[in-house]
Amino acid sequence: MDETVAEYIRRTVLKIPRDEIKTMLQKWGFLSEAQLETVNFHQIKDNISQDVVQLCEENSADIKQAAVLDIIYNNIYPNKRIWSVYQMNKTGEETEFFDLTDFKKKFKRRLRSALKNVTINFREYEDNAIWIRIAWGTPYTKPNQYKTSYVVYHSQTPYVFISASVLRSNLPLLCQALVVASNYHDIREMELRSHSLNSLQDIVFKRYSQNFQTYCPRPLSERNVAPETVDLRIIQENRNEKERIQRLNREVFGDGPQPKIEFAQYKLETMFKSDPKMDVLDKKEPFRCLIKFSSPHLLESLKSLAPAGMADAPLSPLLTCIPQKARNYFKIREKKGLLPGSFVSP
Amino acid sequence: GVFAHLELLEARAYEAAVKQEEAEQQEEKLARLKARVQELRLQRDELRAKVDLQQKGQLGKEGAVSNPAQPSARAVLEWKIKSLKAMLQIFYLTGISGKLTKRGVCFCISTAYEGTYLDSFHLDLLTKPEVQIYRHSVPIFIPLQQIAKKYLQTDIRRFLSVLSDHLNAYVGRRYQADQLQEHFSGQIEGTLQRNSLCNLLVFNYNVSSESKTFPFNVRLLYGDPCCSLPTEVVISCT
Repeated sequence: MDETVAEYIRRTVLKIPRDEIKTMLQKWGFLSEAQLETVNFHQIKDNISQDVVQLCEENSADIKQAAVLDIIYNNIYPNKRIWSVYQMNKTGEETEFFDLTDFKKKFKRRLRSALKNVTINFREYEDNAIWIRIAWGTPYTKPNQYKTSYVVYHSQTPYVFISASVLRSNLPLLCQALVVASNYHDIREMELRSHSLNSLQDIVFKRYSQNFQTYCPRPLSERNVAPETVDLRIIQENRNEKERIQRLNREVFGDGPQPKIEFAQYKLETMFKSDPKMDVLDKKEPFRCLIKFSSPHLLESLKSLAPAGMADAPLSPLLTCIPQKARNYFKIREKKGLLPGSFVSP
Repeated sequence: GVFAHLELLEARAYEAAVKQEEAEQQEEKLARLKARVQELRLQRDELRAKVDLQQKGQLGKEGAVSNPAQPSARAVLEWKIKSLKAMLQIFYLTGISGKLTKRGVCFCISTAYEGTYLDSFHLDLLTKPEVQIYRHSVPIFIPLQQIAKKYLQTDIRRFLSVLSDHLNAYVGRRYQADQLQEHFSGQIEGTLQRNSLCNLLVFNYNVSSESKTFPFNVRLLYGDPCCSLPTEVVISCT
């Protein structure tokens, strides 16, 4: 077995939390159950990884199998990487019969025709998601297994999720290969980024809970609220206001959990509006300003602002439109026209 | 040969089972109807007794006959609410239902396949200045924008009908693929290759006869997006 492959497997195993190593190796399926039984998974990780490498040596693992282990790790822990969303366009109206074998063949052929030194691996998952792992080399050097890009593509959708690697210069090549393989015409990067791949998928595939008004009988168990202990001595003075806020919040955010994004960025290119007598900034230039909101879970925290009394309800649509517009990077310019106010650029 | 014989036996067993089930159902129905007849007879007797009593009372006192069955206002209201809810339930069961909103209307398209209720999809439409889709929960691989461009402005009924066809067909294909994976996982070699729209299924299975096994490859193509049956089937022995 190649030295580099052994080292790569060792380092991959070290990344996995100790309690998960056995399950992940079972998912990998490269080592037999009998072989896995011989490893003591309670020793320190260094020793576990050495044992695993030893077993892989017995089975003569090559880079292909090692890459599959890496894909499995990244599929279970995608939040360690930052993901961007790309949207593809096409003009044709015919129904596509997405053929997986065809897709893989076209992708590999396109990528390899431009750059021979790449390692490409695919793995399909239950939700029609195709994971692609690419390790990049240069025209003169072998692929560097530690410089990898990941692509997640759901067949017959125009969205691609890419975890950009260090080498951004390979992105155009990657995008081209994707467009060709999936029978689209072009691709552009959307203004949507997050660590949580699932949440990005929820946003663009509209899997998050939107509150639609219907007469459909919803199971009453969803609406069960624990009966509040009614102490008649306590009078809720602001009950109406509280209920109004709850109602507005529910209309805007829905009932379910929010997609998880960590930041929203607003780039202002608006004019500074001040009292003309104060004479601040006599040059009529846009006031450039960048506002960034960060949070471990931005949308949930926005949802709790009004009930916590920290903001007025309803919240600004600039904040609440994030899942619907599928973006968390905004440019705000002056609206050219009769109405004052700001204009969000597409 | 053996296969044909086995098929014949299987068919016979199936028929016998169906007949037995039918017979059982008939018996159940009969028992139910008999019970109902008893109920009605009881009711009839009660009403007869009431009428008799009334007539006697009427002869006794010469007063206006008061109708003891006058429903109270509350009962009328409850009955109205109940029948309205039933009406809404019926609309929901037709597969396309809607509710007027402040700025337009919100439609709910419910899908089903051969008696199994499946997903519901929503469309929030604005009606001013023109009919447009404000938000929706239709999957991205359904050509919603194309269908909207064709029919949304001109013929909204057709728009909903076409969209409902697409959604029902997709959900039907998906359900069939899921059932195939669930119930025949033992017979399929490897994994079932599918895609988001479930309009191309590829899988392998083995047929054994005597001592030899023959590997077969099946390719199901669903050419019509509004249909949940394949338009092209390619079976090859690899």
